[in-house]
Amino acid sequence: MPTTLVIDPVTRLEGHLKVEVTVDQVNGKQQVVAVNSVGTLFRGFENILKGRNPLDSPDITQRICGVCPVSHGVVSCKALEAAAGVNIPDNARIMRNLVLGSNFIQSHILHFYHLALQDYVNGPNMPPWQPSWNVDKRFVASEEQTLVNNYVRALDMRRQAHEMGALFGGKLPHVASFVAGGMTRAAQSARISQFRTYLSAITSFIQNVYMPDVDAVAARYNDYLSLGAGYGNLLAFGVFDLDNTGQNLLLRRGYIDPGQAWRTVNIANITEHVTSSWYSSGNALNPASGATTPQYPKTGAYSWLKAPRYSNKPYEVGPLARMAVNGDYAAKTSVMDRHQARAHEALKIATAMSGWIGQLTTRSARASYTVPTSGTGVGLGEAARGALGHWVSISGGNIANYQIVTPTCWNASPRDTAGVRGPMEQALMGTPVADLQQPVEVVRVIHAFDPCLSCAVHVMRPAEGARIFALGHYHTGEDAHAHPHAH
Amino acid sequence: MRISRRAFLDVCKGSAIGLGAFKLAQLGNVLANPNAPTVVWLQGASCTGCSVSFLNRISSSAPKTAADVLIQTINLAYHPTLMAPAGQTAADILQTAQNSGNFILAVEGGVPTAFGGATCWAYSSNGVEVTFLSAVQALASKAKAVLSIGTCAAYGGIPSTSANPAGIRSVSAATGKPTLNIPGCPTHPDWIVWAIANLLTNSIGSLDSKGRPAALFGRLVHDQCPRKPPSEQHQNCLERWGCQGKYTYGVCPVSRWNNGVSWCIDVNAPCIGCTEPTFAAASMRRASASGNCYGSCHREDD
Repeated sequence: MPTTLVIDPVTRLEGHLKVEVTVDQVNGKQQVVAVNSVGTLFRGFENILKGRNPLDSPDITQRICGVCPVSHGVVSCKALEAAAGVNIPDNARIMRNLVLGSNFIQSHILHFYHLALQDYVNGPNMPPWQPSWNVDKRFVASEEQTLVNNYVRALDMRRQAHEMGALFGGKLPHVASFVAGGMTRAAQSARISQFRTYLSAITSFIQNVYMPDVDAVAARYNDYLSLGAGYGNLLAFGVFDLDNTGQNLLLRRGYIDPGQAWRTVNIANITEHVTSSWYSSGNALNPASGATTPQYPKTGAYSWLKAPRYSNKPYEVGPLARMAVNGDYAAKTSVMDRHQARAHEALKIATAMSGWIGQLTTRSARASYTVPTSGTGVGLGEAARGALGHWVSISGGNIANYQIVTPTCWNASPRDTAGVRGPMEQALMGTPVADLQQPVEVVRVIHAFDPCLSCAVHVMRPAEGARIFALGHYHTGEDAHAHPHAH
Repeated sequence: MRISRRAFLDVCKGSAIGLGAFKLAQLGNVLANPNAPTVVWLQGASCTGCSVSFLNRISSSAPKTAADVLIQTINLAYHPTLMAPAGQTAADILQTAQNSGNFILAVEGGVPTAFGGATCWAYSSNGVEVTFLSAVQALASKAKAVLSIGTCAAYGGIPSTSANPAGIRSVSAATGKPTLNIPGCPTHPDWIVWAIANLLTNSIGSLDSKGRPAALFGRLVHDQCPRKPPSEQHQNCLERWGCQGKYTYGVCPVSRWNNGVSWCIDVNAPCIGCTEPTFAAASMRRASASGNCYGSCHREDD
């Protein structure tokens, strides 16, 4: 008999996440057989931006996410600069890369140690680390102690990564120095020197602690090198411009279909489906002409997330997609491959930053920028957790339309118009669940994507008569249909 | 859990925003009590930025880091980003706290009220979904004190501006309860630690008309700014580029950010007024006739 598990909240991620998975026996194995993914926080940033001074958008859009603000800031500036046809100086490009790289590193460290690790290791014996699900923990006590010690060290290292970025950003999270045209202040020689000191210590931590710890978890949980595979469709917008052509990136733009070589991305092929989303605005629009009009309730909808698709297909985004498209990691998807690609990427970025800081000078980091009376611009880039795009349209000197497609929209999207699941939904299908009261396997698959919500995943619509099981509390299927989402 | 109370008290002595000796003794008594209130930290219409900022805590005196705060100083019963438990196990913690009434409620993010609160769900308990709106209302009614962390919780913040499509309100407006407001976008980790310490001792001191403690928000940014005329740097004052320092209260020029490495005006970025209820209501960046010059039209290098 199918059982629906409610996990709400799924903790240790950015924002709100609810998961309901239906579990049943298939070929003698208890596993996930149904999944829906539902975002449950709508703030309406795109609507808030309408009519505003375009110069505000780097500040406003950074506040979408306190974990990836730098990515929003960079991409927003790029959209404004594209709309005005402004090229920024090399120093501005390099400083943005350095601040962005700092935040990628802090995010990757935070994700592995502070968000994901407790799925595999028991934390300190006190709140907020206890009570926890004590199931399938495979490390012995001494190994656990080492990893917990590194959890504390990692708190220190991610803090230092933010301090490193703040040398040029002014503060983190939410940098002060990003403006259309460049940076508000040029680099100072003392800061360049301080940056090098931070980077050296952080790079050492990545090489000597973070990467070995990820390898240790992957080795002990090697069944997760095949679990959570999903579609295997990978997409990256690319990030870290190496010159001002927009073509030469540290991690290139492209997409991969399973078993095929990488191909170039045409952003005209991106559409956002809203059949399953609580919006009344048009379906399958390209973000350049996108709209965001909330409608709740709405028949057939179950999420505040839209469903972005590339050529009408779902694509996974994130470090694994970036590294695979760039040829730095095999195009093989699983829970542990996602963790390992993320750690490898941290080292690649840190190594590149060491070169960039050597290219930075104390000369101007800002080009003159005048808001165009009218124009459109697209900014593409990456947040730590995947491809990010901003589409701006300016009219009468103000923002006429602003559309944002975030990484977690790709990964945690609901079904599209064709009824095809989002990437994370697909990755959850078939996931074995040993203990219905402690479905840690489900949470491991979700955490590997490093979801950055302010939105949520929500798996529901159980089969008629299915039992609803809220982790220790059984209900009848009728209860599920009676709750607010069913109306 | 309560390993190093004395160490925690040191931070208050060592800080410019510290407590008096009498209050230090009070705090010691509170923390020595095994029944000291827990802290329940909820996230609503937030970006998690204030939680990330909290993790950036670093001080020369204990608790030196976020880890010290968590391990040695407070009992953080609930925090969605940091806690191990999920699902019903997590929801039960909230129920336990609510039943006991022995907790400080810390809220990050505003409270969406549109669509009956359905644009933000807090948790499910026994299969029933609970909106953030009803969760905050229920918990606030039982909490010993309610702390609004960041400008969104204190005043609604950016998501509540202009169209406010999610109907976001401040925690105080949504619950009808007075809140201790520690605004900032994000707010500063030292201010969070200060607020929790003072709430534990019932010694928050005087508040201004916007619910902010005078100890942290009693002075204008401009009045503490190293570029205030007639200082040597006064020619670098950013007022003509739209700096809000004359209208914004906070100790940013003293606290600085990220272990003191910088702060907004230090990188020639005008204050955007992020600790005020009016934050982001009007345009935050001003363009000059020749483009958005900001402060960096003048000397850029040291």
